[in-house]
Amino acid sequence: MSKDMKFLVVDDFSTMRRIIKNLLNDLGYQNVQEADDGQTALPILQAGGIEFLVTDWNMPGMPGLDLLKAVRSDPKLAKLPVLMLTAEAKREQIIEAAQAGVNGYVIKPFTAVTLKEKIDKILEQRAA
Amino acid sequence: MTSGIEALRTDYGSSIATLAGALAAGDEHLFLSELDLLVHRRERTLFSELRKLTGDLQSALDRFSVDSRLVDLAEKEVPDARARLDHVLKMTDEAAHRTMDLVEQCGPLAERTARSAGDITELWTRFRARKIEIDEFRTLIQQLDTFLVASRTDMDKVRGNLTEVLMAQGYQDLSGQIIRGVMKLVAELETALVDLVRLSRTGPHALPMDRPASDGMTRGFGPAVPGVDNGPSASSQSDVDSLLAGLGM
Repeated sequence: MSKDMKFLVVDDFSTMRRIIKNLLNDLGYQNVQEADDGQTALPILQAGGIEFLVTDWNMPGMPGLDLLKAVRSDPKLAKLPVLMLTAEAKREQIIEAAQAGVNGYVIKPFTAVTLKEKIDKILEQRAA
Repeated sequence: MTSGIEALRTDYGSSIATLAGALAAGDEHLFLSELDLLVHRRERTLFSELRKLTGDLQSALDRFSVDSRLVDLAEKEVPDARARLDHVLKMTDEAAHRTMDLVEQCGPLAERTARSAGDITELWTRFRARKIEIDEFRTLIQQLDTFLVASRTDMDKVRGNLTEVLMAQGYQDLSGQIIRGVMKLVAELETALVDLVRLSRTGPHALPMDRPASDGMTRGFGPAVPGVDNGPSASSQSDVDSLLAGLGM
């Protein structure tokens, strides 16, 4: 698990992007890019180099669920680890995200510890 | 009654006379063509009545659709919006207090570190200048020992609090999502009222209102608000974890 790993944080609220970016920096991940919805995120992902995607669900333009589906249907991105970090907490939504191939699901408001645990878990599963 | 008969006489008198004349004269062609004209005239009146009736019905349906949407907005969604805004108020209040609590905790810790460093500085300066007595040197070592341990503990606490301050700012995202939802509702209310006014003014020519598509499942519903949201929701991260574990994740 390299600390040089390149993250893309997708959220329409710049405050939340800053929070996640700061937390990732605290965890030692300094390489963090940002996008404000699925539409702006997708070209960044397709350009290559992103190794971990953290995305919100409810965003104008392309929502996080559609971004997740687009990622999974792109052969170059299909295996990208995706963590959904969202206020959406309905059971059917969590199930839908799981079926669409999300690797982790964190509901807002969240703690720094939860974010670390989920990222670590996803990366451990990748390494196994 | 008399005027009705008069009108009928004016409208149809000449046709009936032509028909009777043609019948008496045995002019089959004239009789049939005059009869056709008569039937067409009746049909035109009937169709025009029917069109008017359809227009009235459409107008009534439009009004009913606007009315029922307004009733729905007034009875359910406006009180919901009030509860959502209350929740925003509570969230911003909690976040502001949480932030201030954390800042207030950090203040004395930073002060203690600065004061202890200041206390050490005098002896340290003399030590650097090689003008220190052996007893003073012992005191300096003790002060340094205490300072290093305390400042590390204090700064760890300050660092932790800074992370907590950062996390507390998450309220902006959550309250922002709720406020956006309420803004959408206000816009919808405005449209419904404008439609209602338009319907009252222009009757059957009013435009049907646009209903916002219900696409919450794809777009998202926004943060859960206590006492407002229906349907099963995961109330904590552990609920999410056990749900996902149940799905084999």
